[in-house]
Amino acid sequence: MTAPEAGADGAILSLDGVVRHFPVRDMLGRRKGAVRAVDGVSLSVREGEVLAVVGESGCGKSTLGRLALGLEEPDSGTVRFRGDDLRALSPAALRERRRWMQMIFQDPYGSLDPRMTVGRAVAEPLRLHRIVPRSGERERVAALLARVGLRPEHADRWPHEFSGGQRQRIAIGRALASGPRLVVGDEPVSALDVSVQAQVLNLLQDLIRELRLAFVLISHDLAVVRHIADRVAVMYLGRVVEQGPADAVFASPRHPYTRALLASVPGAGTRGAVLQGDLPSPIAPPAACRFHTRCPHAEEICRMQEPPLVVGAAAAATPAHRAACHFRDTLPAAATPANGHRGGGERLARLQAFFAAHRPGTGNAA
Amino acid sequence: MSLPALEVVDLAVTFATERGPLRVLDGISFSLPAGRTVALVGESGCGKSITALAVMGLLPPSATTAGAVRLEGRGIAELPPEGRRLLRGRELAMIFQEPMTSLNPAFAVGEQIAEALRLHQKLDRAAAAARAVRMLEAVRIPEAAKRARQYPHQLSGGMRQRVMIATALACRPRVLIADEPTTALDVTVQAQILALLDELRGSTGTAVLLITHDLGVVADHADEVVVMYAGRVAESGPAARVLAEPQHPYTVGLLGAAPRLDGPRGTRLAAVEGAVPDLSDPPEGCRFKTRCPFRIAVCGTEPPLRGVGPGQRSACHRAPLEGILDAA
Repeated sequence: MTAPEAGADGAILSLDGVVRHFPVRDMLGRRKGAVRAVDGVSLSVREGEVLAVVGESGCGKSTLGRLALGLEEPDSGTVRFRGDDLRALSPAALRERRRWMQMIFQDPYGSLDPRMTVGRAVAEPLRLHRIVPRSGERERVAALLARVGLRPEHADRWPHEFSGGQRQRIAIGRALASGPRLVVGDEPVSALDVSVQAQVLNLLQDLIRELRLAFVLISHDLAVVRHIADRVAVMYLGRVVEQGPADAVFASPRHPYTRALLASVPGAGTRGAVLQGDLPSPIAPPAACRFHTRCPHAEEICRMQEPPLVVGAAAAATPAHRAACHFRDTLPAAATPANGHRGGGERLARLQAFFAAHRPGTGNAA
Repeated sequence: MSLPALEVVDLAVTFATERGPLRVLDGISFSLPAGRTVALVGESGCGKSITALAVMGLLPPSATTAGAVRLEGRGIAELPPEGRRLLRGRELAMIFQEPMTSLNPAFAVGEQIAEALRLHQKLDRAAAAARAVRMLEAVRIPEAAKRARQYPHQLSGGMRQRVMIATALACRPRVLIADEPTTALDVTVQAQILALLDELRGSTGTAVLLITHDLGVVADHADEVVVMYAGRVAESGPAARVLAEPQHPYTVGLLGAAPRLDGPRGTRLAAVEGAVPDLSDPPEGCRFKTRCPFRIAVCGTEPPLRGVGPGQRSACHRAPLEGILDAA
């Protein structure tokens, strides 16, 4: 079985106008409305590309990840994996496709079966998709474990014997076992301590580059996203409000919500709160622009008309950098984090270089 | 100079376990002036939450504590349990990461705030209820009178944390311990809560001991920082100085490991390789030596915490680290 080619437009994954609502019922089981988790989202990811989907809890980013892998069916719209509409595939064909699409979850304590040795967990996708004969299985598992920074003899141990960071390495090894072309990581480093998070991020980055994976990173952590994403989609209440190349989105955000998110990141130097109030309910999102109830720039038109997700008209606008804001071209200049405002400078960079150079054996990996 | 609101001197905590005594904290010292914020920062298992619980007197009976904890100069570590209990809520208050576990789901939030006021300030029912509503207003809860009658499940996560802050500050404590108060919250709500804590600290003079794993939070909200590693202080000092010119390799490593909005993109992070040592079998001498790129022979002996700059102290034999750069 050869690895699938990308679709006609070079995309491994493409979503077109995808909608997923979850019905909400009252105590008598009558339909009372719906959580509009994903409400008309179009996105695509190419080979070797990292697309980050960011937003706060309840914005629909996790549902989007499940839709992307065909774990959830859209109410309308299409999800294509290298050109094939997942809904049009027979169950057998969909099962075959799953070999090429994998997921990494946030919690490495919940995603590994405690009654399965590490070797079994990593070998399971190999057996499921009949990738290597049983005789070659041990060798393949050892190679996968080595690739994620663990030792071959770890195959005989149980998940509880490993730290959180090591478990996440195991989960990554398992996700890569079937040689996927698309990997969705739902907050894959959020549960890890910062020093371990850095190790796992470095590993993911190496793997994405080396295996030319199409990677969808679902995250609430903007610093992590900025670090590894090529493109970014910012979600608010089920919709993409801004998307584009990561450089452009982080350097000159065109949507007030993106700006608020960036300014809220601790360490960015802003001390006050940027946004007031809580996220409105996704069951009854505000009409027209969904952000207007919290937006410092909202005007009459924002309550009347939904802004389309389009490229700005300004001459300096980056192609493919789109924002769903009526004032995308006239917002005041965004305050971007001052470079190195926290200081440290050359001294700190030189000291940190020692850490990068200091790589004790992989057996020490956390 | 007035007495610090809270002073911790040479605090050590040992747990009795089936496999013998386990020392989880050792030689923790810091001072928290009134109206200021000191951050305890470190990764899981470094002892920052144990430090907070030891100050509160909330450790389980299997723990033995040594060292001094002084509240405005009064030693409180040696007080009997009843004496400690009276301090909690009135002079020492604490908020936690997950407000839902600290709020009682069966009582309206206003009642929960009023309960503390009736217990500690001997207010009558009506006065306590009125004061509870004023506290909810102080933490910027809209329609405070209506919210006071609601139950915790009817409030959002950010709103619940505001209720916790209102409860904690109701009796105007000298010290508020905030243990990862915003870790469970979304980033825009986190910014609201941290700004609120800053503002209330300014207006009430309550000192805040802020426990966090996020160096960005330290940079924006703390005056002083204590960096902990494996149950000990690695480095302490003015927050701006420690973050800009760290003098302990662990602080250097932590700063390099966290991606930043103003950092380089796409490069490898300068990760601290390896893992935190097992406290039941810690390395001899410096506990960071197994992961430290600067270790030398002397690191086999325990480094003392010593002054390395204005107000800055580091427990590293090689500090100041400038010597390493000169040699390189």
